[in-house]
Amino acid sequence: MSELLARDLAVGYGKTPLISEISLRVRSGEIVAVVGPNGAGKTTLLKTVAGLLEPQGGALFLDSQDFQTVRPSERAKRIAVMTTARAAAEFATCRDVVSVGRYQFTGVMGRLSAADRAAVDGALQTVGAQELSDAEFDKLSDGQKQRVLLARALAQEPGVLILDEPTGFLDVGYKLEFIATLKRLARDKKIGVLMTTHEIELARAAADSAVCVSADRRIDRVGPARDVLTNDYVETLFNIPRGEFGRTYGERSPSRGSEPALSAFSASHSNRPGAKFLMIQGTMSNVGKSLIAAGLCRVFKQDGYRVAPFKSQNMALNSYVTADGLEMGRAQVMQAEAAGIAPSVLMNPILLKPTDDCGSQVIVNGKVVGNMRAKEYFAYKTKLLPDICAAVDKLAAENDIIVIEGAGSPAEINLKANDIVNMGIAKLVDAPVVLVGDVDRGGVFAQLLGTLELLDPDERARVTGLIVNKFRGDKSILDPGLAELERRSGIPVVGVVPYAELNLDDEDSLSERFARVSSAAVNVGVVKFDHIANFTDFDVFEQIPGAAVRYVRRPSELVGLDLLILPGTKNTIADMRRLTETGLESAILKYASAGGPVVGICGGYQILGEEVSDPHGAESGGRARGLGLLPVATEITPEKRRRQVEGTFVESTGILAALRGAAWSGYEIHMGRTRPTDPALAEWTSEGSGYCRGNIYGTYVHGLFDRKEVVSRVVGALAKRKGIELTLDGVADYAAIKEREYDRLAQILRESLDMTAVYKTIGANR
Amino acid sequence: MKTRTTLIFLLLAAAAGLLAWVNIYAGEVGLSHGRLAHILFARDLSDVESKIVWEIRLPRVVAAAVLGGALALSGYLLQAFFANPIAGPYVLGISSGAKLAVAALMVAASEFGFGVRAYMSVGAAFVGASIATSFVIFAARKVRSMSVLIVCGVMIGYICSAATELLVSFADDANIVNLHNWSLGSFASVSWNDARWFLPLTAVGVAVSALLAKGVEAYLYGEDYAASLGMSVKKFRAALILTSSLLSATVAAFAGPISFVGIAVPHVARRALKSANPRVVIPASFLGGAVFCLFCDLLARRMFAPRELSISTVTAVFGAPIVISMLLGKRRA
Repeated sequence: MSELLARDLAVGYGKTPLISEISLRVRSGEIVAVVGPNGAGKTTLLKTVAGLLEPQGGALFLDSQDFQTVRPSERAKRIAVMTTARAAAEFATCRDVVSVGRYQFTGVMGRLSAADRAAVDGALQTVGAQELSDAEFDKLSDGQKQRVLLARALAQEPGVLILDEPTGFLDVGYKLEFIATLKRLARDKKIGVLMTTHEIELARAAADSAVCVSADRRIDRVGPARDVLTNDYVETLFNIPRGEFGRTYGERSPSRGSEPALSAFSASHSNRPGAKFLMIQGTMSNVGKSLIAAGLCRVFKQDGYRVAPFKSQNMALNSYVTADGLEMGRAQVMQAEAAGIAPSVLMNPILLKPTDDCGSQVIVNGKVVGNMRAKEYFAYKTKLLPDICAAVDKLAAENDIIVIEGAGSPAEINLKANDIVNMGIAKLVDAPVVLVGDVDRGGVFAQLLGTLELLDPDERARVTGLIVNKFRGDKSILDPGLAELERRSGIPVVGVVPYAELNLDDEDSLSERFARVSSAAVNVGVVKFDHIANFTDFDVFEQIPGAAVRYVRRPSELVGLDLLILPGTKNTIADMRRLTETGLESAILKYASAGGPVVGICGGYQILGEEVSDPHGAESGGRARGLGLLPVATEITPEKRRRQVEGTFVESTGILAALRGAAWSGYEIHMGRTRPTDPALAEWTSEGSGYCRGNIYGTYVHGLFDRKEVVSRVVGALAKRKGIELTLDGVADYAAIKEREYDRLAQILRESLDMTAVYKTIGANR
Repeated sequence: MKTRTTLIFLLLAAAAGLLAWVNIYAGEVGLSHGRLAHILFARDLSDVESKIVWEIRLPRVVAAAVLGGALALSGYLLQAFFANPIAGPYVLGISSGAKLAVAALMVAASEFGFGVRAYMSVGAAFVGASIATSFVIFAARKVRSMSVLIVCGVMIGYICSAATELLVSFADDANIVNLHNWSLGSFASVSWNDARWFLPLTAVGVAVSALLAKGVEAYLYGEDYAASLGMSVKKFRAALILTSSLLSATVAAFAGPISFVGIAVPHVARRALKSANPRVVIPASFLGGAVFCLFCDLLARRMFAPRELSISTVTAVFGAPIVISMLLGKRRA
């Protein structure tokens, strides 16, 4: 199972690339044909993709690995090239010829092992040439030779097979036989096939997709072969007089006259078991893409489809941590809720957390990769393409429809190269695009038409519908404008969505993020330890309208927090050291000395103390100084304590005094014992499981806040301190409220959008 | 291993053994087989006869066998390099390049009065061979045609020979005879002292060739194909051409230019074995080269005895028809 992926690849020999901006993908089991006139550079393209020529630019990936880093010896086991160059080996038998394919598998003298011999026989058998094994290669017919050369390539046991004009020498009988063999290989052995061919009819019949290189050396069109290679298009590509191709080869042009991108889409995905795609792009930030995507997720869910949201890259400070401890953007969490499924990092493989004006922390698949300046990231991001593809593929395998959200505007012409969030993704998965404009901010027609104007023709062809969002008032006022918009763009307006106030976690863009952070009544910060554990402890805060949870990694992120939580960690001593190194330690101490409340849970509790020692080496060994905020000391012991517990808040000091006497339930899971070093220290949670002093609280109990009265008292107390009255009735019903809101959103979309057109666009039947 | 292959190797080994014996046996000074066996196996060095055997005939036999093998192997590697069965160190002018360099060295030695040591000749031959090879590779880049390449090689050969002739005409009389003999090619003047050089050099060449065998096989199917198998084609080509040059330079330094062995022997070996597999063609070429040169040297020495012919005269008589038949065969194909 191999996959080859090229993005904005430039190929050629000299200094100026012969063809550039090549984006193509060969999936396992798929046949991709490269067609185009002579001299367009098809062979150069193949050679580059096969690793025989250095790429002149762009990125090339083999199984998600940067092609440049794949060693040639490794490459030869994954990609086989079938060359048509006549062999010079006089007297060589077919078996000899095929055996050469085992080059990378044999030792220094090239002797074949039993496994090698079996592979050679297997390859000969696969192409039906076993009876030719001992025949002299030079004396075979062309058709037989081609079969043996194919066997030689198969002896490499490749995932991807590259062929240059494989049927060139063959008569029609051999041609058909050869193509049948190729199709069988792709189907049964899951081999991805990339080949150049001059046989248009053959490419139409055999290839899953076609990559068309035009005479002026551009990738002119990519899509399902039978849809792209219409007679009309072939005539354009090869500069044949109108109608000539059809007259000579017969009028067999499958989807003549239909919108190429649209039909291309439905065909390519209807014959694959995976999902159908729909991409929502906006004319700018904050046009309401996220909500429309969420609403569509809910509509599709209601209509009985398995649907998942996707956005390749989010830029947001406030992230969500999934059940498996990975960080992702919140918009896709909301959309996942609307889709009725659990959020997963697959839905948002790249998260950028801005650190300052021109730098961000880069999080890939939920894990921190590092900090990068904007420029660095710009260069780095193409390397993330395989991660994006992998994420989309996994989602597509498990769902019927994937709703993809774009970011910002697709028409940022300064950033168009190496785009991985808008049209780049749409092309990658071959998704139709619906473009959303914001009427509330004015100039919606200019937004939509201007955006379309700045798109390349192939990108524009992807846009199958327009949406006017956030409209207030009488829609009939808009109608003349909409008619003109449709006339000028040639793209239908699929709906005008009214402005709606929704009680949802809607936006994730930079500007709104800051707005939201300051407008949330209560901000709870959770220190994102490297070895963070049991973070579901804080989900309960998410359920309260007006409370926001954010994960904190850097000192600056502590600003504006109403409560800081040190969560559990799987490695207390290592994470304590990290706190010191990152400067969070002094920031936390400063925050605490200013009277900010700090709660430590489990490992976080241990860190709040004076010292943590690990004499038995249960975690990383050694001893570490704690933050010294609570006069307790911890000794980590090898045995693990794991139990369900119930109790009360025996005492509660400081800001959280309201907790005193409240009952809690939860569980303990930890290694180690923590004892107060000051006998007068107040017991916080019963049975000595936690202590507090002033605004510093520590406990071993996970899930401490889960009970409604506990969390509402905590949030209430924090809000009160800020002078805000929060209505906390129906706290536990927040999930239900959100459900209602998603349904309302879906209803709004059903009423305002032409859903039949939307379903037609994505190629699904209602 | 196929019976055919086994049989051919047995035949070659037998022929080599027999010819070696005959070469030592035959000569102006007659010996009985018994006497010869005694001299050889008892390492008897007491009298003139045994000195003749040990100091003159035996080194010559060893040289003919080893250098003949080296020459055939050098030709085989060149054929792989140029993907052209008619390539060889002699026709491509590589031997002549080596000859010119060695001739220059000899003339310089007599002019400036220093003695030519074996390593100097090898070094000069290697430099000469490498320069000539570079010319041929340069020409091969420019033209893709086999026959044009051969013509280029022959021209380089002529130029080098002409330059050698020029040097010889300016050389001291005393050196001319020596130089003239050598420049036609001969195993006559080879001593044990020379063997101390050419034996290890040839051994290195053979060992490297054995290691290159796997690559040669892949390379037979084209440069692009070899690269697609993950071979480092640049390094491989460099190793191939350096090894070939080393082998042909070694031969040229000690025996002068010897014609046609490099082309004819690998060709006959391939035909006889009916195989393209370098793992068998390489050893067969080496053994074949040894047998062929032993046979030709025997004729060179004995046919018009006591007059000795140059070795190239004899190899050409047998080798040239083979090459011509190859060219005609190609024409037909």
